[in-house]
Amino acid sequence: MVDEPPSGVVPRGATATGPGRVLIAVYAVFALSATARAAVQLATRFHQAPLAYLLSAFSGVVYILATVGLARTGQRARRLAWTAVLIELAGVLVVGALSLADPVAFPQATVWSGFGAGYGWVPLVLPVLGLLWLFRTGRTGPEQAG
Amino acid sequence: MIHPLAYVLVGSTVALALFGLVSTVLADPPGPAHVRATGAVEALLVLQALLAAARVYGGERPAEVSTFLIYLLVSVCVLPIGLQFARAEPTRWGGAVIAVAAVAVGTVVLRLLSLWGATGGG
Repeated sequence: MVDEPPSGVVPRGATATGPGRVLIAVYAVFALSATARAAVQLATRFHQAPLAYLLSAFSGVVYILATVGLARTGQRARRLAWTAVLIELAGVLVVGALSLADPVAFPQATVWSGFGAGYGWVPLVLPVLGLLWLFRTGRTGPEQAG
Repeated sequence: MIHPLAYVLVGSTVALALFGLVSTVLADPPGPAHVRATGAVEALLVLQALLAAARVYGGERPAEVSTFLIYLLVSVCVLPIGLQFARAEPTRWGGAVIAVAAVAVGTVVLRLLSLWGATGGG
């Protein structure tokens, strides 16, 4: 395999290498879009749907933390990534369900509305991929290092 | 906003994304070809941003001017950052990173089109 880095170069349990970089790229895109969207919403029409817009901002922060956690190496970064991705999964499931149960309170105003249908379902798939990647790199860390 | 240019850009970002994905499938790390392809799309994006910004300052008003201008800025920033990140670790996955950036930019161009279209202008 030409794509494998030389053995010993990859730090133990590193998440920011190989396919992990694709994951980080997707997380970065969502961090940017969710945060920018929330910033515009909060700045221009906060009173219209405060809860949805605050949720929008919260999701942006979660994506930023997940991006940072995955992009950095070390136990603290790994814990940050686990926490952020788990919150992200809970968020998309809870907000997705609530947005279907009560569409009036949750208009299409957050990335997690309708389980992320407005973003091609990526918000639903992304935390699952994130958890799989964290699990895999955590489990196979010593092999990657050696 | 120049609609034909925007449509060419949507097509270009799709082509760039496919190119990136094919390199990942073929285990081909990002090289000069990727730099040239990304650079060509980026040049068109810069051209579009300049033309669109000129028309906004010339008095034409898309649906949400501030959002529109933010999208214009994002549209020219994503590919250089993505290419940098893709080339920082030259493995097969660099192509997929470029593909992610290209899809993101294509989405931004579509958003720009819909914001501009809401004015009724061409």
